[in-house]
Amino acid sequence: MSDDAADVQRVLAGDVDAYAKLVDRYYDRCARFAIRMLGNRDDAEDALQATFLRAYRALGRYQERDRFSAWLYRILVNQCRSIAARRSHRERVFVREEALLLNAPDKRPAWTGEDEEFVQRVLNELDPLLREAFLLKYVEELSYEEMSSLTGAGISALKMRVKRACDKLRERWERIRDD
Amino acid sequence: MTEPESDPYVEWIAHEARRPIVIDPAAVERVMAVIRAEPRPVRRGARWRWLFEPRPLSLSPFAGAAVAAGLIAIGALFALIRLDRGGLNSTGGSTTLAAVRPPLSDTVSVIKFVLVAPHAANVALVGDFNDWDAKATPMTRTPTGGTWSVAVQLRPGRHVYAFVVNGAYGTQWVADPSAPLAPEDGLGAPNSVVLVGGSAS
Repeated sequence: MSDDAADVQRVLAGDVDAYAKLVDRYYDRCARFAIRMLGNRDDAEDALQATFLRAYRALGRYQERDRFSAWLYRILVNQCRSIAARRSHRERVFVREEALLLNAPDKRPAWTGEDEEFVQRVLNELDPLLREAFLLKYVEELSYEEMSSLTGAGISALKMRVKRACDKLRERWERIRDD
Repeated sequence: MTEPESDPYVEWIAHEARRPIVIDPAAVERVMAVIRAEPRPVRRGARWRWLFEPRPLSLSPFAGAAVAAGLIAIGALFALIRLDRGGLNSTGGSTTLAAVRPPLSDTVSVIKFVLVAPHAANVALVGDFNDWDAKATPMTRTPTGGTWSVAVQLRPGRHVYAFVVNGAYGTQWVADPSAPLAPEDGLGAPNSVVLVGGSAS
């Protein structure tokens, strides 16, 4: 039995603290997707809170034959979509400082806050469905089969979205380079 | 991961976006504070599990013989019903026709795609049949100049496609002006649809 499955069993047996292990194990990765997808910390934290709460409430329906991470991600993708849809009624938010505050100053060279801020802004400019497909494929590094299972979209449609996202990112770069 | 690696710009964006995120250490605790206020989750079906759990059952010899006789009688009844249906089938005869209907042909058809784009530097055909790969099916310019075409083999069914036109205005996705449009998927430029017929013979 995997760590995840064992923790789920413990939660269902009444050990709520076992759920803290699951949250701790997946929070960072889920946060990265939510922040990249939604573009700001407040919305991302709302999505994460709702995701872990919904997963907890539905834990009795979780089937052990599924990977817990894939099941959790499916909930997260839907939460991000819901929040993005609600947000579309508000003024669009671009938070320049957030990206600087949220990203780890890891040891890899040639990193600057400007790059990070720029990347988030470029991602924000993508249509949400294109951004979602690009992030799942090239940031979360999922297979098209996994993406299809998470999003409910067909593999062909997902390939088209990834292709269009790459085209748009490339065009954006070329415009900057030519300016 | 083939596509971004083949394009340094896109790969750079993916690489930056993969960097880890610094999380507020209190964030997990905030989630758990909400979780602790929730009722405990219950495994689905737990309330009905007692119905399906195995349990010891004791019967007197007389009751056991009565149950066995009852089961034999039920089995005999079902056997009679099946025999009766078998008799009807032997005279009806038409219900098996549907099962032997020949399958649709899986042969491919050659479809020619044409686009008039006199100012394009190059044009490619993309669709669900080539995984939307703009390098897979380049179109060739006709000798007269402004028309681009390509012939591809397609299996019977519905195919969604578009043209990727490279020209003075950069790369553009263009629907086929001579074909019906696919339903809008909210991604900007629409796609087109081609229906390829299959032979039922």
